[in-house]
Amino acid sequence: MTRIDEKETITKQNIEKQNNEIQKPKIRETVLQARNLHKKYKGFALSVPQLSLPKGFATALIGENGAGKTTLLNILTGIRLDYKGEISYFDRQETGISGEVQEQIGYTGPGCYFLPQWTIRQVEEVSGLLFANFHQDRYRAICEELGIGGSGMDVTKQVKSLSDGNRMKLMLAAVLARDTRLLILDEPASPLDPLMRDRLCDMIREYLEQGDGEKTVFFSTHNIADMENVTDYAIILEHGNIVEEGFVEDLKEKYVLVKGETADAEQAGKILFTMNRSAYGFEGICLAQNLDGLAGMDVSLETPSLSQISVAVMKANTKLAKRA
Amino acid sequence: MKLLQNSGIPIYQQIAEQLRMDILAGRLKEGEYLPSIRGLAKDLRISVITTMKAYEQLAEEGLVTAVQGKGFYVNAQDSQMLKEQHLRKVEEALLEAVSAARIAGMTGQELQDILCTLLDMEEDQGNER
Repeated sequence: MTRIDEKETITKQNIEKQNNEIQKPKIRETVLQARNLHKKYKGFALSVPQLSLPKGFATALIGENGAGKTTLLNILTGIRLDYKGEISYFDRQETGISGEVQEQIGYTGPGCYFLPQWTIRQVEEVSGLLFANFHQDRYRAICEELGIGGSGMDVTKQVKSLSDGNRMKLMLAAVLARDTRLLILDEPASPLDPLMRDRLCDMIREYLEQGDGEKTVFFSTHNIADMENVTDYAIILEHGNIVEEGFVEDLKEKYVLVKGETADAEQAGKILFTMNRSAYGFEGICLAQNLDGLAGMDVSLETPSLSQISVAVMKANTKLAKRA
Repeated sequence: MKLLQNSGIPIYQQIAEQLRMDILAGRLKEGEYLPSIRGLAKDLRISVITTMKAYEQLAEEGLVTAVQGKGFYVNAQDSQMLKEQHLRKVEEALLEAVSAARIAGMTGQELQDILCTLLDMEEDQGNER
């Protein structure tokens, strides 16, 4: 069936109600804590009063283009130093990034940070020089497993001759060949094909397992559905602000996917967080605590996926920003 | 362990259910440790938090105990608990029957009659044996 006359209904009260209810979830152990992070550009401001990453888990950073994901990750990795605020890493007393901290963090970026004329072998040599905890044998094993140099494992191949996907694989190989405690991956899935995305999820799970609760992954992604089965904690960023965050299993209990009949759409629109209407009925996301308001309606309830929750939260906040 | 992505039953409940069966059937013995949370997540190719939630549910039910830094081990199972577990299964199955009856437009009395008939049949079969 195709949707006709699709309309979105979001009442302002619903969003305000929701915004007041964002509480910081309880995180037992953190790997990183940031306070009062601020970064201003022309027409954009990142403002994060408080950020904690749960230790031993994979956290996804979700948000629209231009929401500030890369800015935030660049601040956390020390690529960008022109910001206000404090960041403490691991269990260190002093705040701020240092060589010692960077040795413990593995980072892959949206672009390739290796020079175009470097070969696969030279990437290995440079990484070995830069990082004390780089394992040459592990790098070679990962390169071979991921087929970065082609079937013949040609290590004289230059970075510039590799595909986007292979460049990402090369960055991952160089990062995973090191002993680190935190991986910060900026859009790792985007250049990868479906098969390799699947492998990326496995690699993240393997990393977490090796750490037995001591290793943490923080990645940004637009491919929420592909990464859902490897996401433990989600942070949704909109217009430079964190608008929702929590352990995925908790978010799935906080929000409910509701489907119902056209006759009830008007009334339900006042209760639902976000809603799509069509000639055949309505579908929307409702806060579990507001479900009572749907009493007497013929609706079916489902557990939403992380992408459905994320899209609803992003839509609601975009609408609010436009209205403000 | 078989996990269904689109069954409508949350993954953590499916994991908890299968481990519960293993414990109640004695396949996982008292004092034995469950697989590590992150190890199981890797093997089942699901997120760590989902596995954790399954284990926490089992801990809440008193089937396993969490030890800081070591994982979850299987508790001694008493017969009272086993009975409660079975009771829960009976309730679940009956609820399913009730909702099927609703769809078929049956009354409560009709449903009860069916149950009585089934019980009688079951008894007769037992007597014949």
